[in-house]
Amino acid sequence: MIAAAPSSVPLVSLRDVWKVFESVTVLRGIDLDIYPGRVLALLGGNGSGKSTMVKILSGAYQPTAGVIEVKGVPTVLSHPSDAHAKGIYMVPQEPHIFPNLSVMENLTAGLKGDPDANEARALTVAREIGLDTDFDSPGGELSIASQQLVEITRGLLRNARVLILDEPTSSLTRREVANLARQMKELKARGIGLLFISHRLNEVLELTDDTQVLRDGRIVLNAPSAELTTDMLVEAMLPADFAPPSDITERDPGTASSPSDKSAVLSVRNLSSRLFRDVSFDVYPGEVLGISGVVGSGRTELAEAIYGIDAFAKGEVHIAGRAAPRRSPQISQAMGLSYVPEDRHAHGIFLALPSSQTVTAGLLSLGRSRFMKRDHELSLTQEFIDRLRIKLSSPLQVARTLSGGNQQKVVLAKTLAPAPRVIILDEPTRGIDARARQDVYRTIRELTAEGVGVVVISSEVGEIAEVADRVMVMRRGRLVPLPGGPKSVEQISAATFAANGAAA
Amino acid sequence: MIKRIVKSREFLVLALLVAMIFAVSTVNAAVLRPLTLINIVNSSLFLILIAIGQMFVVMTRGIDVSVGAIAGLSAVIFGIALNAGIPLPIAMLCALLTGCLCGSVNAAGIVFVGIPPIIMTLGTLGAYRGLMRVLTGGSWIESIPQSIKTLAVTRYMSVPLMVWAVAALVIILAVLLYRIKAVRNFYAVGDNREGAYLLGINVRATEFTAYALAGVFAGAAAIVFTGQIGFVPMQTGSGQELKAIAAVVLGGVSLMGGTGTIWSAVIGALFLTTVDSMMIFLKVPGSWNNAVAGGVLLAIVVFDYLIRRTVRNRQLAMRAAEMHHAEQDHDTPLQPKEAVR
Amino acid sequence: MKGLTVFRSWEFMLAVVLVLELLVLGLINPAFLNIENLLFSTSDFAHVIIAAIGLTLIIMTGGIDISGVSIMGLASIVLGLAFIAGIPIGFAVVIALGVGIAAGALNGAVVANTDVNPLIVTLATLFLYAGVATGLPTLLDILGFQAYGAGGFEAYQYEGITGLPKTFTWIGSGRIGWVPMPLVIALLLAAAATWLMLFTRFGRYLKLIGVSPAVAHFTGVPIKRTLVAVYAMNGFAVAVGGLVLTAYLGSARSDLGSEALLSIITAVVLGGSSIYGGQGSVLGTLLAGFVLGFMRQGLLALGISSDVVPVLIGVLLVGSVALRIGLARLSTARANRAAFAAERMAVEGNGGMP
Repeated sequence: MIAAAPSSVPLVSLRDVWKVFESVTVLRGIDLDIYPGRVLALLGGNGSGKSTMVKILSGAYQPTAGVIEVKGVPTVLSHPSDAHAKGIYMVPQEPHIFPNLSVMENLTAGLKGDPDANEARALTVAREIGLDTDFDSPGGELSIASQQLVEITRGLLRNARVLILDEPTSSLTRREVANLARQMKELKARGIGLLFISHRLNEVLELTDDTQVLRDGRIVLNAPSAELTTDMLVEAMLPADFAPPSDITERDPGTASSPSDKSAVLSVRNLSSRLFRDVSFDVYPGEVLGISGVVGSGRTELAEAIYGIDAFAKGEVHIAGRAAPRRSPQISQAMGLSYVPEDRHAHGIFLALPSSQTVTAGLLSLGRSRFMKRDHELSLTQEFIDRLRIKLSSPLQVARTLSGGNQQKVVLAKTLAPAPRVIILDEPTRGIDARARQDVYRTIRELTAEGVGVVVISSEVGEIAEVADRVMVMRRGRLVPLPGGPKSVEQISAATFAANGAAA
Repeated sequence: MIKRIVKSREFLVLALLVAMIFAVSTVNAAVLRPLTLINIVNSSLFLILIAIGQMFVVMTRGIDVSVGAIAGLSAVIFGIALNAGIPLPIAMLCALLTGCLCGSVNAAGIVFVGIPPIIMTLGTLGAYRGLMRVLTGGSWIESIPQSIKTLAVTRYMSVPLMVWAVAALVIILAVLLYRIKAVRNFYAVGDNREGAYLLGINVRATEFTAYALAGVFAGAAAIVFTGQIGFVPMQTGSGQELKAIAAVVLGGVSLMGGTGTIWSAVIGALFLTTVDSMMIFLKVPGSWNNAVAGGVLLAIVVFDYLIRRTVRNRQLAMRAAEMHHAEQDHDTPLQPKEAVR
Repeated sequence: MKGLTVFRSWEFMLAVVLVLELLVLGLINPAFLNIENLLFSTSDFAHVIIAAIGLTLIIMTGGIDISGVSIMGLASIVLGLAFIAGIPIGFAVVIALGVGIAAGALNGAVVANTDVNPLIVTLATLFLYAGVATGLPTLLDILGFQAYGAGGFEAYQYEGITGLPKTFTWIGSGRIGWVPMPLVIALLLAAAATWLMLFTRFGRYLKLIGVSPAVAHFTGVPIKRTLVAVYAMNGFAVAVGGLVLTAYLGSARSDLGSEALLSIITAVVLGGSSIYGGQGSVLGTLLAGFVLGFMRQGLLALGISSDVVPVLIGVLLVGSVALRIGLARLSTARANRAAFAAERMAVEGNGGMP
């Protein structure tokens, strides 16, 4: 159903591609085409399978099943250099820079053929696409935007016909994004096919020709970008069983809907760090504060600063009414603040251990006891298995073998075990299935009923609308003021993704 | 360029080395005699060579604790070959090939099977050292044709031939390493393994080459060693693997990969050998050599960490300032597209 | 089901290997199976097992400490010098153990507070402690301590300090029933370490840090404190090993145990610990220590040159790791295939798209 079907043969296609990792199915039959001179946008929430798909396209992973076609010919890409030879190059989200090599060495790394000729060409190409820097200085000193230009240059030096840009704008400034947009247009004009991956809906609509939306490893929307609106994109990214939410009518913490005699369980005043500035807010018992923000908006850095991971934050934090000038994960938890991190595998769960050991890990440093009580560990885990509906064969099942949703519930159990007064959930439903998602939301409601203050950080506006009592939007390290009164999903989307020029 | 050299770790260690020699000379002026210095260099040749081999491995973020044992085994093969009446050049080739083979065995286990480098080379450390004894029945190889020793005693301009040979080798290598672009692959693999892979660099071949080279240089060290002392004792190379690692780390090759030059290995090895010699001039019992070497190594790596942390913090702060600055003009419109809705 | 997993465990495999080894060696040379001899021969390698137990705890956290062999010598020479200086032997033991703990804690402090690879940190202190151990006698002379005998402490720099009192050498050569003291001490330490790993919060911390330092940090595990403590514990264990060996040989030497590094690490890795951390067991290390130790004894008893022993140990080390890697790859591949088949079936059953 490719509208405005380009007459030419696609440069690269995926046909019914599947991928399974660690017993978890990530891609479920993907079809996709990239045409010369067109920009295809790929949208999808965290964990939707985007990055896996991109790695299959670039030869870093092999599909479990399915075919990759290059100009209509089935091809096996067993190594990134195979993909390069076929004219496919990926510009990764975090550019692969060799910090200790010079910029020139970074550009020519991995190129075959005469080194001097390569350097001369690299210089020409780099200048053409606007990379203007001291080519002898170490690569580690480049700004992120320049690092991305280095990656694009690398692709062009390999005569790439297809360039994959994996969330290129997530850590760029506005001006840098504008420059990137200009370069993309140039590349299009040369007949290069682009796959553009982004979180920012307005960029997708402005910069691309076609859009595909990926959800839970499947393509759920495929249409020309010109026919789409941000609302349609937001809707496509929402879970299948998601009921369109009504507007969020904010409860004033001082009104009857929230008992006024309760003081804030978390209050943040003028908190600043490297990646966010001057953030102030309060969280009251029994309410859910939603913080809407995309990757790179400073939302995760904010959460980590409050929780005590980032030691460089300046400002005041009060947890459960007590000042917390020095914070560490241990101190925060002891004072009643828990945190569910954004990156489950890197920061949340002990993958190689029995699930029960993750569940009790947070409790250990809080209790007085220096000894393990195995029976208690098992019964506590069982309690959470019942409460959160975690599906596992026994509390001793190794966490790695659980599905994403159940892993997230185990992390949630770890965070809830110390019975926190306030809890920050960062992307709590990233990459988990619809049922697990509902269980997470149900747990959040149960917590508020018990009087716990909850902060939900998410880049999915639908999620914010579903769970939040009050909304804040974070963009580029600052809170964006929103108009008073009920807020529609559209308003929040607009502020979060900076669509329609709705800036502060 | 000059600024970068002065800021480099190699330069820092070289400066420390020179300072140490001058400091010692205030106590005992004999240190500054040319012959003394030449002798120091002469006795550091073995360590310099195995350290160069080690450098390739550490640069790719690996480690090889078997180089000393490889040198020992190569020396045994060298001695046996000479005793069998094989001409010197061919015997030397045998030693180098032995080193290469041993290094390749390490490489195969690490690169193809995926055994952690420390485990693989620790295993072969035992194996090579055992083989060395099995081959000789545990006794020293003596009665080597003394023609080999003439190599060691021959001097030009009062500098031993061996020193000239190794110096020439080092300079040729330095030029080659600078010239051959494929050498960058060692840095790239060590610096960012996944990045190197994604750029189409043959990561496995690069790592394999590094371990094989470590073996070859251990073989070369064996030739120099045997030439210098004229026989092959069973302790040949024993404990030198750790000194080689200490030398390259001291000279600025990061265990995190991606940094270091041949000068790191040379200066690091010279430094460690000089420490040993200076103790003699200070009339400090030789028993303190290891303590000083270990203390210096510990101090240098901790110091290096503190510097890196400061630099990283400053870079992060700069990037943050850049972002906040850009905040001011963030309403710059995107490149307008034809069909803005 | 639970019984099955016991039989599939690495420790069980090691136990089978140990029994087979003893049987084979016994069949070739029945004299080898004399229980008394067998027990007595453990004194030759008890110090390796003791040091390996300490190292197991460190490797659990994903770290490593190769300076242990130097700490052994350091503890030994400190004890000897203290004894010569006229300090009561009991107090001398306390000083030697204290030095071991301090040396280990220094390793831990550097590892915990910098990002320098533990291998490099302990490589540096391997030299440092060995140098201090050999240099200590002369240092004491220079500092003006009065030693008995003409040569001062320096006389003890290269030769061992002998004449240690019986009360001390008993821990190396005495026995309780049939069981020699070094083995008793090794077993006691193994039991203590097992208890630490299984039943204390500290043991759990070690595992959590080893599985993922980042997750442990986010979870509130006191990483620095734990690391310093575990390296100090290893310092204590190797110091005990050094003293046991000193008592067994009846001589305090600064270079004691320096040959043991390969055997120690092999015992830990063969025992099932992953060098990447988070996985391992003290029981496995203990069993692997016996497998290695008896292998050496057996080969010697068969009249095979001891030169072959390091070759075999090396092959065993590399082979066991290769085997584990192979097994892990097989099981992952099988699990992925099964998951794909199940998922595909489910989707096709539903008629494709949801």
